[in-house]
Amino acid sequence: MKHIIIGVGAAGISAARAIRKHRRDDEILMISTDDAVYSRCMLHKYIGGGRSVGEMSFVPDNFFEDNNISWRNRTTVTEIDTANKRVVFEGGSENYDRLLIATGAKSVFPPIDGLKGATGIYGLRDLPDAKAIREKAGGASNIVVIGAGLVGLDAAYGLVEMGKKPVVVDMATHVLSANLDEPAAAVYQAKFEEAGCEFRFGCKVSSVKQNAAGEVSAIILDGKEELACDLLVVAVGVRPENGLLPSNSIDEYLSVGTDVYVAGDATGFSQSWPSAIEQGEVAALNMCGIITPYDEILALKNTVNFFGIASLSVGQLVPAPGDTCDVRESKGRYQKIISRDGVPVGVILQGDISRSGFWQHLVKNKINIADIPKPIWKMSFADSYGLDENGEYEWMT
Amino acid sequence: MKRILIDSSKCAGCKNCSIACMQARRPDGSVYDIDLTSPQHESRNTILINAQKQCKPLFCRHCSNPACVKSCMSGAMVKSPETGHVGYDPEKCAECFMCVMNCPFGVLKPDRATGTYVVKCDFCADHNSEPQCVKNCPTGAIRVEEVEQ
Repeated sequence: MKHIIIGVGAAGISAARAIRKHRRDDEILMISTDDAVYSRCMLHKYIGGGRSVGEMSFVPDNFFEDNNISWRNRTTVTEIDTANKRVVFEGGSENYDRLLIATGAKSVFPPIDGLKGATGIYGLRDLPDAKAIREKAGGASNIVVIGAGLVGLDAAYGLVEMGKKPVVVDMATHVLSANLDEPAAAVYQAKFEEAGCEFRFGCKVSSVKQNAAGEVSAIILDGKEELACDLLVVAVGVRPENGLLPSNSIDEYLSVGTDVYVAGDATGFSQSWPSAIEQGEVAALNMCGIITPYDEILALKNTVNFFGIASLSVGQLVPAPGDTCDVRESKGRYQKIISRDGVPVGVILQGDISRSGFWQHLVKNKINIADIPKPIWKMSFADSYGLDENGEYEWMT
Repeated sequence: MKRILIDSSKCAGCKNCSIACMQARRPDGSVYDIDLTSPQHESRNTILINAQKQCKPLFCRHCSNPACVKSCMSGAMVKSPETGHVGYDPEKCAECFMCVMNCPFGVLKPDRATGTYVVKCDFCADHNSEPQCVKNCPTGAIRVEEVEQ
């Protein structure tokens, strides 16, 4: 049996691992545009100079050799011929028995007047983006980042580490508006400002100006204010790289057609690193004939760690009418639990996230904790403590 | 694989396991001169107390399907196919703490002194994989046994 996996990101690598685990002798070929395996969650560390390409790898050094996986890198698949079970790329083609499309996503560039065609404008999604930003930032004096979400702040963080003072523009009212509530976000904002970042909230980039050489030279905010700009990072979101998918209907086994599967950002499902890993594994099992449905895992969860301050957020960020909201604050610490009819639906912890993993389990599984006679701040796994016959923990609810 | 099995009914909450864990990481000194409040000395394990005031030992299970490994984006958290133990390489770790959030039992935490690495049981690799917590448990609430992977 020959498996082809397109993409060497989290989902692709996870799938390759799982196939090898279950099928020692099957042939595995990975094809990627990328010429390195790297974690895109670490690109900002490359911009900041903290990590080399090798140090961003999330697989062991001899991953491909040790797992007997062939890798055709610097190769972009242009077409999938499902009738003949064949993938086509420049200069050749390969046949498959099972195919996984794990092509990820690409940065969205909004339709802003003047943005298209100008140089000096980058997303932050791939290693070439990070390389270009780092190279260009060295000589840039007016750097603007559009988007104060996680990716935008990652970019800003890397730039700050380079000694740059970027201006970050966002339509929202505070940083990380999809990840944190206002009090938790304000802590990061203050740290970024201290480090030299400037924020412009509640405003929109209405157009981009280019100089005679076609390079970005300024951005216009809300049609009136002009900000000089010689490097523009656009971090307003991603779009699934799904052009190769033979169909847009993904079944519960992550199949998109006969013997063709999809995993990771290319699915268009809400994403996180753990969900890409999970999808890669589930698709791989199905490719091996081990029928496994995919249960969408809780996507509304994330951790944030800038300037040594760690935060965790799960589920809802602000209470809906009728919800209970418990808040506790102390020096360098912020905790907020939103509950609905005794079930925690949102958790934000900042400053101290020690041993807090059980919260996402409670939220994800909608576990009612109203009957547990102890303060919500004392909640832990202890009240649902169970052990199976193999000595592993299990929730007793 | 070897796992620390827990019989919580035998746990007296004496925390000998936690002190042994702190001591296991020290290059010198003894349990008699350890500063138990110092962030330099952190225990990988702890004893939780439930609403009925019962002791519930919280020790890394080195799970068969480890959520920490699945959420690790740097390759720092890896389950060894040989020993079955989940190892952690602080050099590789990118300090995203997704593992802390995703451990459904709340075992993991960032270190208190620097907030730059994860405090994680390594099955006392430096002590010939003889977990010091088990060695120092006076009630037999924890014991090492071979289990199926």
